Amino acid sequence: MRRLSRGVAVSLLALVLAVPAIAGQAWAQAKPDLTIALSSFSTETLDPALGGHLVKYYLSMMFDYLVGTTLDGQPSKDGGIATRWENSPDYKRWTFYLRKGVKFHNGDDVTSEDVKFSIMRNIGPRSTTGYAGPLRTLIQTIETPAPDRVVIVTKDPTLIIPTYLSRSLSTEGMVLPKKYIEQVGDDVFARKPVGSGPYKFVEQVTGSHIKLTAVDNHWRIGTPKYKNMIFRLVPEETTRLALLRRGDVDVADVSRERVKELEKESFPVHFRREESILTMWWILGPDGLPAPMKDKRVREAMNLAIDRAEVAQSVFAGKADPAAVPLGLSWSFKDIGFKVTPEMAYPYDPARAKKLLADAGFAAGFPLDVYAYQLPGLPEGKTFAEAVSGYWEKVGIKIKLVPVDYPAFRKNWVDRKTPGSVGYFNIANRDWIGTYALLEKMAYTPAKANDTVNDPEVDGMIAQVMRQTDKEKINTLMRNIYTRIRSEHSGMPIVYLHSAYATGKKLGKWNTGSVMYDLFFDELASGK
Amino acid sequence: MIRFVLSRLLQSLVALAILSVVVFILARATGDPLQLILPMSATPEDYAEARRYLGLDRPYLAQYLSFVGHAVTGDFGMSLRARRPVSELIRERLPNSLSLAAFAMSVSLAIAFPLGVLAAVKKGTGVDRAAQVIAVLGQSLPTFWVAIVLVEFVAGRLQWLPAAGNEGFSSYILPGFTLGWFVVAGMMRLLRSAMLEVLDSEYVKLARVKGVVEGKVVWVHALKNALIPVITFAGIYFAILVTTAIVVETVFAWPGIGRLAYEGISSRDFPVIQAVVLTTAAIVAVVNLGVDCLYAVIDPRIRYAR
Repeated sequence: MRRLSRGVAVSLLALVLAVPAIAGQAWAQAKPDLTIALSSFSTETLDPALGGHLVKYYLSMMFDYLVGTTLDGQPSKDGGIATRWENSPDYKRWTFYLRKGVKFHNGDDVTSEDVKFSIMRNIGPRSTTGYAGPLRTLIQTIETPAPDRVVIVTKDPTLIIPTYLSRSLSTEGMVLPKKYIEQVGDDVFARKPVGSGPYKFVEQVTGSHIKLTAVDNHWRIGTPKYKNMIFRLVPEETTRLALLRRGDVDVADVSRERVKELEKESFPVHFRREESILTMWWILGPDGLPAPMKDKRVREAMNLAIDRAEVAQSVFAGKADPAAVPLGLSWSFKDIGFKVTPEMAYPYDPARAKKLLADAGFAAGFPLDVYAYQLPGLPEGKTFAEAVSGYWEKVGIKIKLVPVDYPAFRKNWVDRKTPGSVGYFNIANRDWIGTYALLEKMAYTPAKANDTVNDPEVDGMIAQVMRQTDKEKINTLMRNIYTRIRSEHSGMPIVYLHSAYATGKKLGKWNTGSVMYDLFFDELASGK
Repeated sequence: MIRFVLSRLLQSLVALAILSVVVFILARATGDPLQLILPMSATPEDYAEARRYLGLDRPYLAQYLSFVGHAVTGDFGMSLRARRPVSELIRERLPNSLSLAAFAMSVSLAIAFPLGVLAAVKKGTGVDRAAQVIAVLGQSLPTFWVAIVLVEFVAGRLQWLPAAGNEGFSSYILPGFTLGWFVVAGMMRLLRSAMLEVLDSEYVKLARVKGVVEGKVVWVHALKNALIPVITFAGIYFAILVTTAIVVETVFAWPGIGRLAYEGISSRDFPVIQAVVLTTAAIVAVVNLGVDCLYAVIDPRIRYAR
């Protein structure tokens, strides 16, 4: 019997020792690939019409946009299918001149018919992209006078067409192959997409990865540096870091709290500074803001009660900066000439907050429901909600934390079921047109469901922006909107969040740009 | 025997039918998927259009009948999130779950069998106590913690094994071990107690008196009779490993059916939730049926008693 047990022990030991040797051989291979590990793929869809901004980072490798974008979000004549564009004097006809010689991955030429088909499909009834609605309302017709010319005719004068169809916003401007889609149908296209971008589709295993392979040469990036580009879905952060340490992946999104550890190990960490603003708001009632938030003093008190610097340091590991303007998307500030002055910053002043509450008749505080949930890119969500609730409790507000998931909060918000209660979102930063689109959703009373501001003065200015074609006048209006929202305390801006992406030690320079939801992986792969 | 199998099959079908109603209702109770699918800028008209397009505007009874009618042919509809046929998603993911569960079960058997038998044979010795410690650790260490520790140290720091994905045999080792580790404890304890009972029986004592070699007494005569509860346990646990490996699949980025279920639930993807629940229920029913049949074959008294 002793011999028997010794035999079993030896076998087990041999099994344990053999495992690493077998495994090590299988994984010691060189990689001609650029592999990117991300915590979420959102919907994982491969069809731009079903995509939206959340899946831009991989779709923009496969597809070209009608209008390209520079790394800092400006429309570019070098990065899109259109090499130039012009508007009629009444701003109702936009003519785009298309790049010649561009081909889809199946060999078909990219023509004006494809562009027309793409726009109509991307804003059609099946579309779930971010800006299909406004474009649908605005576009009257699309003309194709020549294979290399497209004319978009709008119902009203507008400036937004080039930007809305560019890489700086969502996926409406992605150019799709008309002939191929008509031939194979929507469902096959969604599984085997064909685009004209620098990388073409190879395979998708849902929940695992999307693999793309480079075209030989592409007008956007020359000869790609990497033969394959692989996006791996790795939800657990420890696993993403293990993959990075092993050299199995070249890029990984990392949480703010793990940055120090990676920097200690000499992994380059790239920040997208102010990638989003973490902002809070009150759910409106049928008649706008309910009491006690209807009182401006209460709104100011709630802002003054929060120690933003401490939140940035303790909740977000110092990888955040205090924000001063509700819905203040700072990447647009330069475009519109808006400056956040030191007076706009909310000091941490609980004493004044208490006084303001007392002046408003709420010396004993009032009950307040605060929804607590996690969000993509905001794993600190619940901790954050708890921290802010703690500050409000200190000034006498009686907080009830309501743990939910975001869709449940969103339903309450848009249905206005729980007026006065508080929620939050990490709103992605964006350029001025994207910012305007956001204000039109969240600060404009006629937007109804999503409105968080309910201020007739702001409504009037937003309505004027829509009709305006003079950029200087638009800038003035936008500045005035922000000034008004800030002075009325129409929301609670908390911090700007910096997002971190770690890369392998040999990857080299990478400019992640400042375009909403786009990480410019093609810059990493560029052979130009 | 045929009657026995048919009656079990009928029971399984009734259970699946009831489950289809329950999952249909519960999936819809989780909330509105359009809140996640449509962008913030979507208008009430966009919501109405999407509801119509996705067939969510029909009465619940019509939706249920359509779901069941198609499900019996293996068509579970389109995923609301990925907009791909759900049956295709299941086909993509299920083999990964089955192969991982099979690997984990093999690991469990390879460790639990020798340890369980040795612990019984050497009752009260150091081997027995070591086996008990392993059992306690197996049942008390949270799977999530074991998985994270293995990824961090074995894959990330020591770099002995892959940290994630399904790219060959070596990819199975860490998730397979993590998943199997929990089963080892239960299976070993069960085998140990069954062996102790059998080793104390008259026929084993007789075999020893007759001079049968001790190894043959233990591994052939005793083990064979101690296997019945272990087979039941293994069968049930195999089904559980296939269907509840969400944590392991998430940590090791393993594209299995557990994560598909999680993704379906978190995005209110009704067709995916319904399909995954029914598929996993069918797996459990089939495995249970198989175990019952095996049980009846091994011990004819069970068959006659029903």
